[in-house]
Amino acid sequence: MALNPQYDAIGKSFVQQYYMLFDDPIQRPSLVNMYNVEHSFMTFEGKQLQGSAKIMEKFESLRFQNISRQITVVDSQPMFDGGVLINVFGRLQVDTDPPHDYNQVFVLKPLNGSFFVQHDIFRLNIHNTA
Amino acid sequence: MDYDYLVKFLALGDSGVGKTSFLYQYTDGVFHSRFISTVGIDFREKRMIYQSKGINHRIHLQLWDTAGQERFRSLTTAFYRDAMGFLLLFDLTNEQSFLEIRNWIEQLRIHAYCEVPDIVLCGNKADMEERRVVSEWRAREFAEQNKLPYLETSAATGQNVNRAVETLVDRVMSRIETAVDRAMLPGRRGRPKDPNELNLSTPTSQNCFC
Repeated sequence: MALNPQYDAIGKSFVQQYYMLFDDPIQRPSLVNMYNVEHSFMTFEGKQLQGSAKIMEKFESLRFQNISRQITVVDSQPMFDGGVLINVFGRLQVDTDPPHDYNQVFVLKPLNGSFFVQHDIFRLNIHNTA
Repeated sequence: MDYDYLVKFLALGDSGVGKTSFLYQYTDGVFHSRFISTVGIDFREKRMIYQSKGINHRIHLQLWDTAGQERFRSLTTAFYRDAMGFLLLFDLTNEQSFLEIRNWIEQLRIHAYCEVPDIVLCGNKADMEERRVVSEWRAREFAEQNKLPYLETSAATGQNVNRAVETLVDRVMSRIETAVDRAMLPGRRGRPKDPNELNLSTPTSQNCFC
């Protein structure tokens, strides 16, 4: 499959849509449609999860009322199978906590004219030294 | 130097158990709070006097708080480094936060300076009696099994908040004093009788002064 020339626009619009759903507790469960039942991996703070059910279970276990975020930058690359690699660098704030920087990487895999999230890695940017 | 000891404590426990309110209550709402975003730490400081054997010791207490990153399970080892004592909190109105205490103790044993660090277990939100789901005897039984002092606290009313911190200060200071005293006695605790005599015995697995 050829490289997708729209990779940059796809990356940006995916990120916007993904977080719009994630940050709204009512719409968050619909993220299940972004992942594959089996062929999706997520690594959340080092914990590896496979399949949409396990990934959604993780999201449901996160305890906060409100989350808001600012995206600093979205970098994308076309992949040789027609997919898109996306790296997000941003800052999120949960309830009354101080804001935290974070990093999230997605791999979108093409499927029947659309995409699903095949890989997803999330980390807060917290270091071992100040 | 205007203090004798710098003592660093960590407040740990699930998000929402009231760690920040607890520390706020202890410092009477008056503190320097400094947030270091790269390590995700929020810390406050307070001066106190600790009396022992008729001597006043000036203590500079640093209370380290998470900045919410425990919601994501992302505490780094930097957070535990150099901490001398731990305030371990759960919410008396939240069963899950009590069940998670076991995991927190596990984490402490891995990351703290020694395998049996000084911990004070606090069942917080004791003022919300009508919403309590963790009974006092259950919490006490758990604390006894794990050899932890247990206090029911309320960050809202201040119940037992000072006592919890003071209990931890007592434990940590007596550990420090014991270590200092023993180190001054020749032939005790791995210290050679004669300074010229090498101590070739292998140190035990404990890397702390307990």
